[in-house]
Amino acid sequence: MGVFCSIVPPHVLDRLARSSDPSVSAAARRTLEHDARQRTRRRLATAIGPSGATAVSARPADQPDRTVYDARHQDTLPGRRLRAEGTPPIADTSANRAYDGLGATFETYLRAYGRHSVDGRGLPLTASVHYQEDYNNAFWNGEQMVFGDGDGRVFLDFTIPVDVIGHELTHGVTQYTANLDYQGQSGALNESVSDVFGSLVKQYSLGQTAAQADWLIGAGLLAPGIHGKALRSMAAPGTAYDDPHLGKDPQPATMDGYVSGSADEGGVHINSGIPNHAFYLVATALGGHAWEQAGQIWYDVLTGGSLRADADFAHFAAATEAAARARYGEGAQLQAVRAAWSTVGVAPAAAPASGLPRQNPGEQTQEA
Amino acid sequence: MRIEVVRSGGFTAVPRQAAVETADHPEGARLAALAEAALASPAAPDAPAAPDGFRYTVTAGGRTLHCAEPHLTPQQRELIHRVLGEGA
Ligand SMILES: [Zn+2]
Repeated sequence: MGVFCSIVPPHVLDRLARSSDPSVSAAARRTLEHDARQRTRRRLATAIGPSGATAVSARPADQPDRTVYDARHQDTLPGRRLRAEGTPPIADTSANRAYDGLGATFETYLRAYGRHSVDGRGLPLTASVHYQEDYNNAFWNGEQMVFGDGDGRVFLDFTIPVDVIGHELTHGVTQYTANLDYQGQSGALNESVSDVFGSLVKQYSLGQTAAQADWLIGAGLLAPGIHGKALRSMAAPGTAYDDPHLGKDPQPATMDGYVSGSADEGGVHINSGIPNHAFYLVATALGGHAWEQAGQIWYDVLTGGSLRADADFAHFAAATEAAARARYGEGAQLQAVRAAWSTVGVAPAAAPASGLPRQNPGEQTQEA
Repeated sequence: MRIEVVRSGGFTAVPRQAAVETADHPEGARLAALAEAALASPAAPDAPAAPDGFRYTVTAGGRTLHCAEPHLTPQQRELIHRVLGEGA
């Protein structure tokens, strides 16, 4: 496949396939065709089943299909297979935590929103642990999750907080749905959606109400002696840590603290504090389980197909108001959404999110 | 030759920055050769970077390279790791 290894996200390939450079566009087209064949094969496998018996419908299974690999401290993915779906725990605690976190995320999306895996069609969930050495990061590469062990000095193992696993898999969900551009305000929304559903995975797993939840992202990830509770706080952005090794949590809670600049794709991990806090305000105003109403509104926006890929905060705010009205009418939910965006200083766009949604090739059909 | 690496992004979004002067460095020749190789291989077209993948800006001898996880060449990865002391 030349320079286009299979981890290039489909939406990027789609763009490359239209490149004016014939060698670039041809390689991208080949990869897209290859991916489309693989998807077709997966769907056929789902419909027909392993025994070859014809299934009544193509509805994906209510169980995840997880595989955890060992990157063996290299950068080659996925690595050596450690644990497959349905097999008992092994000696590697990182692998077991990744396996359990993938399961918790699958379960939350299925039980709360009826979504089958990252793509809504039962996509197998793949994770690699022990990526590189002392690696202080976790990411979604377009196809799978990747976890570092942390350096043990500032950060511990990135499989520890379940909200980190939920955060990364939600990047996959976003890739298959609203596909928010990963820069500027749409990038901050992409990040925020991952924090929101990452936190909801943790809350669902613990059975917590909005009042009981810690609303932290990455609690348990900081090494002993580091001054901080977590990496981000949705309840109080900017207060998660303050430490000589890390600096101070730079997140704003409102538009007054909005940061511009080119680093981090325009501060996508900084300005996400603003929509994060808006979600927290909606969830705590409504009370009860945050995944039920606040989460449903956000999920409807993410997957509804009306949000532009380059949506800004104002578009997103308008879309959440429209979603709250569509699902719950002119009630407390809509009032909570309006109040939250007002508190963080975002005025909803006058015309609710419109324009053609940019979905991934072959993934246009979203379930209702 | 002065080699500077600036990191942004990543899940933690904790920024990192470091620089070396190859003339003053015990492994200066190795670093200079790595920098030449790193700058000679361009970033992947249209930078299909991963969400939460680290973003790097490498400046060496007045030239600048932007690259992003996971699309780093082995030379880029080794150079970044040696200069930054972590995480590439
Ligand atoms: Zn992220």
